[in-house]
Amino acid sequence: MKKVVFTLFSFLTWIHIAHAETNCEAAKTFMSDMGENVISLLTNQSISDKERADQFRIILETQFNLKAIGKFVLGRYWKQASDEEKQTFLNLFKEATVATYASRFKDYTSEKFEIRSCHVEPDGGVIVSSQIARPSGQTIPINWKIFEKKGEMRVYDVILEGISMGITQRSEFSSVIQNGGGKLEALNKALEKKTSQS
Amino acid sequence: MNYIFTILLSFFLLIPSVRAQEDAYSYMDTDEYPGEVLEISPEEFEELLHPPSDLADNDPFESINRVTFGVNNFLDDVLLDPVSAMYVGVVPEFLRERVGYFLRNLSEPIVLVNNILQGEMQDAEDTLRRFAINSTVGLGGILDVSTDLDIPYKREDFGLTLASWGFEEGPYIVLPILGPSNLRDTIGRIGDYGFDSINWWAYFTDDNALYSYTRTAAQVLDSRSDNIDIIKDLKENSLDPYGAFRTWYTERRRNLSSKNEGRIIETAQPEDEDEEVLEDDEY
Repeated sequence: MKKVVFTLFSFLTWIHIAHAETNCEAAKTFMSDMGENVISLLTNQSISDKERADQFRIILETQFNLKAIGKFVLGRYWKQASDEEKQTFLNLFKEATVATYASRFKDYTSEKFEIRSCHVEPDGGVIVSSQIARPSGQTIPINWKIFEKKGEMRVYDVILEGISMGITQRSEFSSVIQNGGGKLEALNKALEKKTSQS
Repeated sequence: MNYIFTILLSFFLLIPSVRAQEDAYSYMDTDEYPGEVLEISPEEFEELLHPPSDLADNDPFESINRVTFGVNNFLDDVLLDPVSAMYVGVVPEFLRERVGYFLRNLSEPIVLVNNILQGEMQDAEDTLRRFAINSTVGLGGILDVSTDLDIPYKREDFGLTLASWGFEEGPYIVLPILGPSNLRDTIGRIGDYGFDSINWWAYFTDDNALYSYTRTAAQVLDSRSDNIDIIKDLKENSLDPYGAFRTWYTERRRNLSSKNEGRIIETAQPEDEDEEVLEDDEY
């Protein structure tokens, strides 16, 4: 019996991996298209800051799984929050991300975005490795974690120089929540303050 | 003072280039460590080595750390930031790069000692060749000829060596002036200070202490000018800079450690509450 289960298990795993392999190349194409988009958007000096932010928001909404990311970065606090709080958080989280990244790369002008490689992770996701080459010759390695669900690819994490943005934010958010008495409300207030500043 | 600046260097000159290395677990399979080591399953071993995923749980001294962090930030604002901004503003990039390579070349012997302590003989050979080539053809280190010859710089320090021997990170600590660290890396810094031949040279010849001080001052300036963007970014864009630095430091060190070569980073997953539950049971 054990043997049968094991064989079945290996078989299913194999199917899963084989299926994922085909995703690898597709994920590369997906990332390459999006990367070009983002770079040209962030470095386009002819559009206003507001336009840039608006377009960046659209990319976030359509190419990232913001709900899954939001849930991940809240960790154990997600379950404790009410639906309304969650919704408020997800909106503020999106706006804070837009505000941060749309301005972060303001000084970037002639950056090149290159896809390097991809591999399938044990959890079924695909990591696409890329790098941004700056005019100074400096390169910034960025890995993207992509899952395909219902035929659609979405980004679930961005790993910058080996540092996961998801984990970074989860740690930061949990520290804000803890210092605010363990309430998600405290984080929402902080995010609101941040988004209204910029 | 000399000591402080030297270890400041070991922290700030973190350069994120990790290359494929032997898995640190492999030593468990050798005959050198029979008995009790093998009684721990790899899963348990993994659990012992990896601190809690919530970094806040690994910070028992948070209240003291926050005070130290505040003082360090104040010193940064009034002293280090203006000086390094001036350095970046006045000295052209080409010259700054030369200074950076020269200083890095002087620290290669420390890397070499750590390569050997980790038992990474291929790395040790690479480091030795780098040092020999850059010190001669590279005109005393101001040119990084080795990287062009496909022997890129690979950072190692005693904190990473301790990690490769299986030491845990220990609690997160913010050191005065030096900034983020943990128990293991703090011990590592003391070790690296001992490995630094320049320190010994300065110690035994009193007249040369000045060179040593000059070097450490230059190192601080160089590493600051290298990291000024990321430090600024962490301070400005984060809701809780203390937490951001804590994560940044911890994740970066884990990334540099060969023990974590090829580690799977935990990330968000597709929603699996509904129809995907079955599929997820497969693995």
